[in-house]
Amino acid sequence: MKPRHTMTLTIRQTIGIIAVACILAVFTNLLRQDSIPFADDWSADSRFSDASGQSMVVGLTEASRMYAKGTAVFVDARPEEQYEQGHIKGAVSLPWQQVHERFMEAADHLETAETLICYCDGENCELSHDLALFLNEMGFEGARVLVNGWTVWQEAGLPTQNRDSDNEQIDSETN
Amino acid sequence: MGAVFLYASYDKILNPQAFAEAVYNYQILPDFAVNAVALALPWIEMVAGLCLITGIWQPGAALVCALLMCVFTAALVFNQIRGLDVHCGCFSTEAVHGPAGIWTVIRDLFFLVLSAYLLVRTVFLPLKKTGI
Repeated sequence: MKPRHTMTLTIRQTIGIIAVACILAVFTNLLRQDSIPFADDWSADSRFSDASGQSMVVGLTEASRMYAKGTAVFVDARPEEQYEQGHIKGAVSLPWQQVHERFMEAADHLETAETLICYCDGENCELSHDLALFLNEMGFEGARVLVNGWTVWQEAGLPTQNRDSDNEQIDSETN
Repeated sequence: MGAVFLYASYDKILNPQAFAEAVYNYQILPDFAVNAVALALPWIEMVAGLCLITGIWQPGAALVCALLMCVFTAALVFNQIRGLDVHCGCFSTEAVHGPAGIWTVIRDLFFLVLSAYLLVRTVFLPLKKTGI
C-alpha cells in the first residue's frame, strides 16, 4: 500500500467516524426525553434561572437601590477568606462550600430581609446561583443573583468593608 | 485506549445538559457552538472507541483519538494558564490552582502520547510490514 493512499484512507475514515457520530448525536438527541437544544442561550439571564426557568438575575442599579432602601440583604457565596478580604458592606457570609454547616447561623440574619441578593465574583461564577437556588429551597423565596457581584459593586464605588474596617466598626460601637 | 474513550463518552451521553455546562465553563467556544459540540463530542469518542476495539477503521479511529487528545490537552492547559488570572470563587478555577488541575493535564498528556503511539502503529507500521 502506498503511503499517500494510506493517509487518504485514514483521513476518509476519520471523516466517516465523525459523520457517523454526528448522525448518532442528532438522532439520539431528537429521540430522547431529556434532549437539549442544538444551540442554546448561554446568557446570564438564561443560565441563572430558577427551577421554573425564571431569571434570578438582578441588575446593579436595582440592587443598589434596594441596598440604599435597606430592603435587601446581600449574601456572599465566596469562601470565608475572600469575604474577609473585602465584601459588600453589611453582607452576610455564607460560603457555598460550607453551606450546610453555616446555614443556621446565617439564617438569623436573612429572615428580616425582603429580598436576598447572592453574589460571588466573576462573570461565570456559579456559586451565587447555586446558593440562591439553595435558599429558595430552604424557604427564602425570590432570592436573586447579582452577576459578577463583587467586581461590579466595587467598580461602581458602592460601600464595601473588609476585616480591618469590621474591627473599626466594632471599636466605634464599643466606645 | 478504546475502553478509555468508551468510558469517557458514557456519562457525557447520559447527561447532555451537565456536559454542555462543562463545555460552557471552559469559556473557549462561542455560545452558539456549546450545545452542538457537547452533543457531538461524546458520540465521536464513543464511535472512535468502538472502532479501536473492534478494529474497524482503526487508522481513522487512531487519528480521531490523537486529534481529540490534542484538543482536550490544549483546552486544559489554556485554562490552567488563564485560570491564574481569574479572580473568581468558583470551584473550577480553585481546582485549577491545586494539584488536581496539574494531574489532569499529566493524565491527558499520557493519553495523548498513547494515542500518538497508536496512530504510528496503525498508520505507519503496517507500511513497514508491506515494505519487507
